[in-house]
Amino acid sequence: MLAILVRILRWIPHWNVSRGEAFARLSPVRTDNKPAKASPVFTLASVLCLLLLSGCGGNPGLLNVPFDPGGRSLNSLAAEVAPEIAGQYIAFVSERQQRQNIYLYDFQTRHLVDIPGLNAIDSIASDPDVSADGRYIVFAAIRQGKSGIYFYDRQTRQLRNLTADLPAEVRNPTLSADGNTIAFESSANGQWDILVYDRSGQPLDVPLNPQ
Amino acid sequence: MGLVSIILLSACGTEELPPNPLALNSYYAEEQPSLSGNGRFLAYLSHRDGRRRILMYDLQERQFVALPGLDLRGTIAQSPSLSYTGRYLAYLAEDGDRRTLKLYDRLVGQTQVLNWGYRGWIGHPSLSEDGRYIAFETGENGQLDIAILDRGSRIEIDRQED
Repeated sequence: MLAILVRILRWIPHWNVSRGEAFARLSPVRTDNKPAKASPVFTLASVLCLLLLSGCGGNPGLLNVPFDPGGRSLNSLAAEVAPEIAGQYIAFVSERQQRQNIYLYDFQTRHLVDIPGLNAIDSIASDPDVSADGRYIVFAAIRQGKSGIYFYDRQTRQLRNLTADLPAEVRNPTLSADGNTIAFESSANGQWDILVYDRSGQPLDVPLNPQ
Repeated sequence: MGLVSIILLSACGTEELPPNPLALNSYYAEEQPSLSGNGRFLAYLSHRDGRRRILMYDLQERQFVALPGLDLRGTIAQSPSLSYTGRYLAYLAEDGDRRTLKLYDRLVGQTQVLNWGYRGWIGHPSLSEDGRYIAFETGENGQLDIAILDRGSRIEIDRQED
């Protein structure tokens, strides 16, 4: 196997240039400006990686994620956590406005999407999820000392607490792509269990607890 | 920064289904639910049987789904995320202080490592419906940011209809 790789290396003209450019896209960013001095082992490992990568996908690797220190893009100077990707959207939590708020990013237009009325000054929002068309967002929030699973409709700008009548702590909601099904954790039985609701806040007919 | 995707096919192990085939929950904690895009399947962490493991439940058939080849040996699995039909399952495997981002393909019953060669902290993976993109938390820049891994255009994407 190694002998074959060495032969391939010798056949590639200007190997050092092509290897350097290609591997730079997939390897950790160098913090210095020194030219790479790759050992033969490193070179062979690089080639092996590239050969395997070219065999298992078109251009696998990290996407160039936009950053804006002013907080108008996906990443900012503050922490960004809990990303959920659906369709062309990513819902996430950021502290960029000195508050723990939820944001929606459209990575096709590369802009933040306006979600008026979702974040409230008296609540801490966490764990968002979004439908594939970006219309519905579900998230957990602590408001006036009580946790709830909130459902937001971006078209009507309506925000509803799906668990207002549930005497339990709730967290970690997840949403189906069409926005019709929501699952989340509940402490109603003295431990974390999973509950499954529909969009209107009604429990689905699923056997939840052991007999 | 870089993230190298490489297929490391794992030896197939067989995960036993829970003894009670009907109920979603048990007498132990269940956490971190993730619905498939079509809303039919639910992957989550269960503490039943004295260990943490990822289970997958079919909400339509009301039964657990077998996950043959899901590689959980010697690691603590967490943060499952499903593609549209539940074919692909992304999750984190923690072994001591080492975290690995893995992708399980239910169709072929194999698990692959996605962050081979990546040294930064990884958290909260989220898989796109087609199984191509994975958004996750990264600590590469000294704070938590969001990174997106593209598995490439030549993967077999999850279909968008039932």
